[in-house]
Amino acid sequence: MHFKKYIFTILFLVSFYVYSQSSQKLNIGLETIMQYYVDDPVTGNFNGTNRFRSNNYFKFDYNVSKFSFGLQLESYYPQALLNYSPHLDKKIGIGTYYAAYKNKKLAVTLGYYYEQFGSGLILRNWEDRQLGINNALRGIRLKYYPTNKLNFTILYGQQRVGFKVSEGQIFGFDTNFDASSEQISLLMGLSYVGRYQNFKPLYTIDADHNRDFNPLTSAISGRINIAQGHIYANLEGVWKSKDNLVELGNIIGNKAFYGNALQLEAGYSKKGFGFTTTFRRLENMTFYADRQANGNTYNELIINYLPALTRQQDYSLANIYVYSAQAKLSFNPLNKAGEIGYQTDIYYKIQKKTFLGGKYGTKVALNISNWYGLAADFLTPYKRINTKFLAFGKAYFKDFTLEVRKKLNKNNKMIYTFIHSYYNKAMVEETHGEVKSNVVAAEWSHKFTGYKSMRAELQHLWTKEDKGNWAAALAEFNFNTHLGIFMGDMYNYGNPDENHQNHYYNFGGSYTKNGNRYAVSYGRQREGLLCVGGVCRVVSAATGFTFSANISF
Amino acid sequence: MKKIVILILLTTSITFGQKKLPNLKLQDINGKPVSLYNFTKNKTLVLSFWATWCGPCVNELDAIADQYEDLQDNGFELIAISMDDSRTKSRVKALVNGKDWPYTILLDPNQSLKRHLNFANIPYVLIVKNGEIVYTHSGYNPGSEEEIIEKFKQLK
Repeated sequence: MHFKKYIFTILFLVSFYVYSQSSQKLNIGLETIMQYYVDDPVTGNFNGTNRFRSNNYFKFDYNVSKFSFGLQLESYYPQALLNYSPHLDKKIGIGTYYAAYKNKKLAVTLGYYYEQFGSGLILRNWEDRQLGINNALRGIRLKYYPTNKLNFTILYGQQRVGFKVSEGQIFGFDTNFDASSEQISLLMGLSYVGRYQNFKPLYTIDADHNRDFNPLTSAISGRINIAQGHIYANLEGVWKSKDNLVELGNIIGNKAFYGNALQLEAGYSKKGFGFTTTFRRLENMTFYADRQANGNTYNELIINYLPALTRQQDYSLANIYVYSAQAKLSFNPLNKAGEIGYQTDIYYKIQKKTFLGGKYGTKVALNISNWYGLAADFLTPYKRINTKFLAFGKAYFKDFTLEVRKKLNKNNKMIYTFIHSYYNKAMVEETHGEVKSNVVAAEWSHKFTGYKSMRAELQHLWTKEDKGNWAAALAEFNFNTHLGIFMGDMYNYGNPDENHQNHYYNFGGSYTKNGNRYAVSYGRQREGLLCVGGVCRVVSAATGFTFSANISF
Repeated sequence: MKKIVILILLTTSITFGQKKLPNLKLQDINGKPVSLYNFTKNKTLVLSFWATWCGPCVNELDAIADQYEDLQDNGFELIAISMDDSRTKSRVKALVNGKDWPYTILLDPNQSLKRHLNFANIPYVLIVKNGEIVYTHSGYNPGSEEEIIEKFKQLK
């Protein structure tokens, strides 16, 4: 019955669109991802409850004059796709909705909204459907722009989780000031975020001695962004008040710790050369809307954004050992307090008609990314900690990437990539092992006459640890600007266990028209991490068909 | 299965109505807040959504950059809007200057345009005429930048 009500709403809104003259003002966005899981000799028999699953999103936005209204219906039918949070297992429901008013100086939103303060170290709401993240706030937000050099934001809300909201309440304030002159761009900002959540005896231990329990955890941050000519520098610092330690789902009533973050970015760029480096230190910076959600595997109820500051690698073999930021404080099972490290990128164009440049010039990109745990004295039985500010502890992840792009002639381009990395699986994934690996990849793209084109990739990974060597290949052919097909395989031929020398293959096609896209594929997915924008989610081994469509009108 | 095919046929046959480009606040390459309308009013131009981590996006913008000077003589203008969030935003300036791209660059670090325009994948290209979206295209294959350049000539 309930289900029919939603279908009627969708049909009504779609017909409203089709028949009304106001189709200019109503925007509709539909997205569907459907999967059908099969039994497979390598990934095993499918033991879940529904072989067919789908994630469907129906988004409606209506604008009239200075007002706008929106609704996002979500349907996980008959159940959400594999590895998505069980909080999403609802056949159809209202995901988000809002009503907003905007004029030159003021913007007010009631309902669900997405906000980011500074770089997100203190607050960020966003949606990533591939990762199953939607941490929008539901409440009220006011933005005020008295001049074009000054703005203020004040907000209150509870964070979305599944089809409900958090118990914790979030308060936020943000201001940005533009103090630029003609020669220098100078931007400054200040933010406050507070999370208020009462005492919950059911999930708390050592509550009798809870002198340290404060329902409100506050975070404040300041930032400065300077740019002049070829140089720029950004500095952001966050301080977080005492927040209780959470261990294995229990809130420790009498142990609370401060947190802080410091991020410094600087760069220099001119025609043909760009350099940027970022240093970041995080200490106990996990910040959840509900304390007991601390450490959950679905990235739910996270107030801020702490991405791994490493290079986004394009190739499948370079995405086997992936780092995720280690911001949490823990005494069990491992002593961890945060992370410290840096990342440097250099972009350089070797000019054409030089020896290395060749006829068209050669583009080179270099990335160095090094991350370490915080050096600290852990007094584990007493859960006390003494951290040092600039000392680097155990190495967690080190990565060196060199990419060379070369145009051979009018119709042929090559990209060569070399990656050397070290991954401390024991500390990062909390299992065991340290993996040193080297990856080499070569990619060729070719343009035929008309709009036909193709792309081919060859990759190889060498390592003596973990699963041993891999080889991979991918080929893609595009018939025109609308239709394309692909096939690829990752082969773990070097696995020390002969029974696990598996192929993980994938093939399919896609069709795009007017910005709408449809894709279908069949493949075997290996167990590992799916990372989008530096945030990762565990995916289990599975084999099956996938159909996806993204339509907007 | 039949329902899916009908849905596809239905949506591909609906003529694309003129949609207004939303006037959102984005950032310039230094992080300063700017209004999108200040860049798009009273002209016809191409908006290309890209990110430093998106290979095909970078390839598309590289391909157009090679011909940009000649295209500009015929009134062609492209604004490249980066969807890099705070994880990769620091690379934008270095990449743009390192590659010597001639475009105006704007930043949308918390996906506000992506939510308003309902696109899931980049590269995503719009041709906007006097604040109205007259053409959209998703994806890039080597050579498909020519289709965008052709369409611009026709729609201008």
